[in-house]
Amino acid sequence: MAATHDAFTTGKDDGDLRRRNIQTHEKANGGMVYKIEAEDTKKLQKKSNLVAFLDEWEFVIAPLIFTALAFFTRMWRIGLSPIVTWDEAHFGKFGSHYLKREFYFDVHPPLGKMLVGLSGYIAGYNGSFEFKSGERYPEELNYTSMRVFNAFFGAVCIPLAYFTARELNFKRPTVWLVTLMVLCENSYATISRFILLDSMLLCFTFTTTLCWARFHRLQKESFSPEWFFWLFLTGLSIGCVCSVKWVGLFCTALVGLYTVEDLWNKFGDLKMPKVELASHVAARVVGLIVVPMLVYMFSFYLHFLILENSGPGDAQMSSLFQANLRGTEVGKNSPLEVAYGSKATLKNMGYGGGLLHSHVQTYPEGSNQQQVTCYHHKDANNDWFFYPNRDHMDFNPETADVKLVANNDVIRLIHAQTGRNLHSHTVPAPVTKADNEVSCYGNTTIGDDKDHWTIEVVNDAVSSDYSKIRTLTTAFRLRHTVLGCYLRAGNVNLPQWGFKQIETTCVKENKPKDVYTHWNVEAHWNDKLPPGEAKNYKSPFLRDFIHLNVAMMTSNNALVPDPDKQDDLASQYWQWPILNVGLRMCSWDDNTVKYFLLGNPIVYWGSTASLGAIALLILWYLIRWQRGYEELSQHDIDFIHYSAIYPVVGWFLHYLPFVAMARVTYVHHYYPALYFAILSAGFVMDWTTQKLGRRVRWSVYILLYAAVIGLFVLFKDIVFGMQGSHQQWRYLKWFDSWRIVDQ
Amino acid sequence: MASPSSTLRQRGGQKEKKQMDGKADHADAYLDNVIGSTKKVVTPEWDYKIALLIITILSFITRFWGISHPNEVVFDEVHFGKFASYYLQRTYFFDVHPPFGKLLFALMGWFVGYDGHFLFDNIGDSYIANKVPYVAFRAMPALMGALTVPTVFLIMWESGYSLPAAVTAAGLVLFDNAHIGQTRLILLDATLVFFMALSVLSYVRFYKFRHEPFGRKWWKWLLLTGVSMSCVISTKYVGAFTFFTIGCAVLIDLWDLLDVNRKGGALSMPTFGKHFAARAVGFIVVPYFFYLFWFQVHFSILYRSGPGDDFMTPEFQETLSDNAMAASAIDIQYYDTITLRHKETKVYLHSHADKYPLRYDDGRISSQGQQVTGYPFADTNNHWQILPPQPFGEDNQLGHAVKNGDLVQLRHLVTNTMLLTHDVASPFYPTNQEFTTVSLDLAAGERHNDTLFEIRLEQGKAGQQFKSVSGHFKLVHHPTKVAMWTHTTPLPDWGYKQAEINGNKNVQQSSNVWFVEEIPSIPADSPRRVKETRKPKHMPFLKKYFELQRAMFFHNNALTSSHPYASQPFQWPFLLRGVSFWTQNETRQQIYFLGNPVGYWIASSLLAVFAGIVGADQLSKRRGIDALDERTRSRLYNSTGFFFLCWAAHYLPFYLMGRQLFLHHYLPAHLASTLVTGALVEFVFNAEPIIEDETVLTKKDDLRKKVPAKARKAFQKASERLKGQSMLATWAASGVILAVTIWGWWFFLPLTYGKPGLTIEQVNARKWLGYDLHFAK
Repeated sequence: MAATHDAFTTGKDDGDLRRRNIQTHEKANGGMVYKIEAEDTKKLQKKSNLVAFLDEWEFVIAPLIFTALAFFTRMWRIGLSPIVTWDEAHFGKFGSHYLKREFYFDVHPPLGKMLVGLSGYIAGYNGSFEFKSGERYPEELNYTSMRVFNAFFGAVCIPLAYFTARELNFKRPTVWLVTLMVLCENSYATISRFILLDSMLLCFTFTTTLCWARFHRLQKESFSPEWFFWLFLTGLSIGCVCSVKWVGLFCTALVGLYTVEDLWNKFGDLKMPKVELASHVAARVVGLIVVPMLVYMFSFYLHFLILENSGPGDAQMSSLFQANLRGTEVGKNSPLEVAYGSKATLKNMGYGGGLLHSHVQTYPEGSNQQQVTCYHHKDANNDWFFYPNRDHMDFNPETADVKLVANNDVIRLIHAQTGRNLHSHTVPAPVTKADNEVSCYGNTTIGDDKDHWTIEVVNDAVSSDYSKIRTLTTAFRLRHTVLGCYLRAGNVNLPQWGFKQIETTCVKENKPKDVYTHWNVEAHWNDKLPPGEAKNYKSPFLRDFIHLNVAMMTSNNALVPDPDKQDDLASQYWQWPILNVGLRMCSWDDNTVKYFLLGNPIVYWGSTASLGAIALLILWYLIRWQRGYEELSQHDIDFIHYSAIYPVVGWFLHYLPFVAMARVTYVHHYYPALYFAILSAGFVMDWTTQKLGRRVRWSVYILLYAAVIGLFVLFKDIVFGMQGSHQQWRYLKWFDSWRIVDQ
Repeated sequence: MASPSSTLRQRGGQKEKKQMDGKADHADAYLDNVIGSTKKVVTPEWDYKIALLIITILSFITRFWGISHPNEVVFDEVHFGKFASYYLQRTYFFDVHPPFGKLLFALMGWFVGYDGHFLFDNIGDSYIANKVPYVAFRAMPALMGALTVPTVFLIMWESGYSLPAAVTAAGLVLFDNAHIGQTRLILLDATLVFFMALSVLSYVRFYKFRHEPFGRKWWKWLLLTGVSMSCVISTKYVGAFTFFTIGCAVLIDLWDLLDVNRKGGALSMPTFGKHFAARAVGFIVVPYFFYLFWFQVHFSILYRSGPGDDFMTPEFQETLSDNAMAASAIDIQYYDTITLRHKETKVYLHSHADKYPLRYDDGRISSQGQQVTGYPFADTNNHWQILPPQPFGEDNQLGHAVKNGDLVQLRHLVTNTMLLTHDVASPFYPTNQEFTTVSLDLAAGERHNDTLFEIRLEQGKAGQQFKSVSGHFKLVHHPTKVAMWTHTTPLPDWGYKQAEINGNKNVQQSSNVWFVEEIPSIPADSPRRVKETRKPKHMPFLKKYFELQRAMFFHNNALTSSHPYASQPFQWPFLLRGVSFWTQNETRQQIYFLGNPVGYWIASSLLAVFAGIVGADQLSKRRGIDALDERTRSRLYNSTGFFFLCWAAHYLPFYLMGRQLFLHHYLPAHLASTLVTGALVEFVFNAEPIIEDETVLTKKDDLRKKVPAKARKAFQKASERLKGQSMLATWAASGVILAVTIWGWWFFLPLTYGKPGLTIEQVNARKWLGYDLHFAK
């Protein structure tokens, strides 16, 4: 039995025969994929020329009509509400940062927000508006065209859905049904009408699916120019979808799974020459890994290029990066190499690390000596002098010759404001009891060898010479010479007596990879040394790219819901597929134009039900197969495999992560998954109606079309905006959880 | 969907089947003959029996040696010892684990006549001073632990592995410090691991009877598997992983039974239905009822009110005798004076003549109304009179009961003002409404609506009687729909550091719950206080069960607080961290819960080897290179693969869990990994590079040549399977593994048995991977 199994999965035998028919069709229609049943064509041709013409050119006419309708539903009355609606507050603001070219920090990758910025640029907006939630847009801000730009992405989804459905081999009525389900999906229409990232995310999810489906259809024409074209287009789409939001990775995973299966089949094809197999692998590595990575990195490259001014996100980045922003104090006129007698500030290189700080207040417990902390605010208490160790007590910073601080030097650090030495001893630290306490003690003359620290250079961003300490670029650790512990500032805040600043300790474990023990010199003053040149402070792109991505990941994970505070807008994963909940996008008083984010009930319920239907269908055929019935042709099996199983897998990939995720979730997180559910619904309809007569089939479909359109029209006001008292829409409140009206 | 039309052809075909049946009948008779003759020929496997005996004796010795040490409460004995005491005292308690494991301890205590007076409050409490029969308690898990080792041996034996393989697997468990350490103390894991091993053993036995379906033994092992699995899940919910493991094997088995080209002939659909139903009953229905049975036992033992009351609803609590709540509950009537108490923070609703300051520190402005606060002590300022929205006639005031859903007003007795809330921000929460009081005139006039509150009983039915003490309710403001709420941050000096009361917009929040504690207006001799001696109410078992089950899941998910010795799943197979169970400063003795690092590393590395072998086999097979013969592959995938699945199913789900985890959660998975180790030792040192085809096989064994296809499917003992092969290499490997394992066990022994105390050098010598041992300085 295993042998027959293999034959099925490679898809090699009788599928070929059928395929050939399709290809002749394709050629007849100018290279476009075109498949209808031959009998239908004959009948239609007899009827009239007009019908024949329509039939022949359906692949142009239908998408045109659908696209026109899409532009209507996504853009009609788009400027009705003149206030900042829902997350426009975030994304509009980020767009403004691009126009002002100020560096900011956010958890999402930059492509979508750059496009928002572009829309603002096109609208002639100067970036001065704050985008406060619920505020009215100022006169000079042409928010309508910004929204239209976004809605364009939403509208493009409709023709994409049309062609995807065709590529999945659905019959014409099903193709129309799938397109209509996307077109008349109230939640898609609503979310596309505002300055948000979701329309872009949806659009690139749709393009990825289309490219994947098209690429699969070209399987038999490997290495043809068209095949390469669609392969690279797939890669491009993946790159774009991941550069808008990280949920794009789930879409990538779908294509990845497909590729793995495809290659596994090719791997088992012993007739295929090894060179060909290798080129298959190489093509996919380049097309589906390298290209998306390049797109993703390019979006960050543009991000850094555009945001050249100092802004609210500086603190998230390394000192070296900050030095390259315009309008920053970091790295201004600092001499390059640190010498004895230099005054400097030391920055912790951990994510969100602050500057080494001390102040006259003492520890209330432990040694009761002067506190040493880490602090983000810039003041004179962050300044330290580099001094030689106590073997060179005669050192006088005024008279001594310039001597550079070198790697492995044993030094002292003297706090400029209080004149005390950075010191550590075997007293447990105030919060992290396992570590040694770090304090400030003595002065230039009083003290002991517990003031000694050994500099250990870890790396240098611009130079491979680790022997010197360079401002901004050199990362070093400070090892306590006597105790052997390392100076560290983690993420622990001191209690009120330490002004909630970050606890600084001396950690006993030697972990060279622990970035919280890495420090660099941020500001540096020394009159005897010439100021460094800006070119010495070039921050390598790759390093910034990785740093920013790690910072994004860290703060994304920190978006956990506060159990004490229930968010009215947040919802849970189980509520989405059953359309249990909607979302109020703005304030609900009578004077605002109100938008309610809720799907088309038949699309949601129908698509969710179809997922179960596909599971039952597959189980049924599997059991039948195991019992010896061979009722499916290879063509049928391929159809189920690629047009049912893959969409269902896509749905799971886009849905399950939100089940496991601990962060706050909202209804719009379901929208990419919904698309795959819609495709599954298309399959179920296509499959169940294939045995029906033409007349019956069309009447079933027309009923469905009517239901989908009818419900969209019924719920149209939540999409186009509700003016006046919300009580007028009481009839739409089918369930208590749909909070379209109060009570 | 499309029904089978006449054109459909059925694979396999009916005719063929008939022929095969006939053949099979013939073969059966022949097979009986052959088996009969083999029975005489084959030795009764004395070597296995002797090994089993030795291993069992050793396992009893290792588990019971020095079991009375230490004579103090160790680690989680705090919990499980306490629960046993509660059972013996028959007071209701609440725990997130199902009752079976804990009931066993109670049974042990009952056997030795212990009354449960000691509550195991702190680690280090003396058992001697408190007169607790702790050795009897500890003997129970030690017995389970000791029986686990022979069970492992039997699994390997029954699965047809050679003696060295079985000895290796059993030896790795026998000399594992984690298994020993965890099973010598009053903890649930010994029960869990033992029944998990027993489930695997029963299933293997059941599967071996697959050629005699619906026979007596087949049924016996089917039901035993179900019952064992039920015991696992009735001890801890990780038993679900055991169900998953066995469930996967059952599904694969069913799938093969469904196959129309099955080797033994296709089964008819009704027969298949019977197979399916038998397994559904044996593996799902029976275990579930057995699981419910323990809850029934649990409820019937715990009939007295106890520390677990607060976790349950008032209806549930009324089923317990001596329940304070049920005893003092009085129906509340209009015009009664009541005191209201917050369920979480236990403060009373309080008011006094002082006003809110005009301006708060942050610059926001108050209404300057009379303060309403939360006050933790009894005081006449806590007295409120409950009034109907429209006063009843003068002569008609008494005797009207307050019902769930009623609108009421609350009059503060001392200041003679009416409680009210309005759309003014509260002192601390700009989003929450301020509570204050207004004069009776205003309350009757323009502010009337603002003084109306709705009594919303928790899980209450419409029109249900509002009772003191047992009636948990939310006080929801009628016009604005906010619920009266308080929290623990005290007000500044102007509010005398009392608690802030405010209106919370999030009505659903569980911290909005209040109850009426006292009705001071009822005289002590009033007939309303007289209670007929109350019989505990009855509640249907299923209702009780579902309530408890829900509460258990809810609290299990809430176990997220951190513990200094908690660890991450990735640390377990490498044994990167243990748990400090107990220390004694005077003698420098300590129990540090840790596996045998040598044994763990061997087992874990062989898991990787298994994954490697399977991966390599799949890849080479895909390229048309067949490196294994069919039988070896079948054994590798079906038997060793099953053990591997068992390991993965008991290990990987922990990565998805948010709760705090400890090394002992790895014990079931570790047991499975030793099975894989045993099997692989045999595979690696006996896998023959020659590709055995049927002819070679038959030449090898005269007997087999005569046996038809079906008979060859019959179970093959290791001695037959490996006939003619030298076991020397396997024995050598197994000997080496056992030797280093025993050394590792011996080395870490003082940390497991808690004696003798170690010197600094000795402690430091054992800090292999930076284990955080005590007394290292």
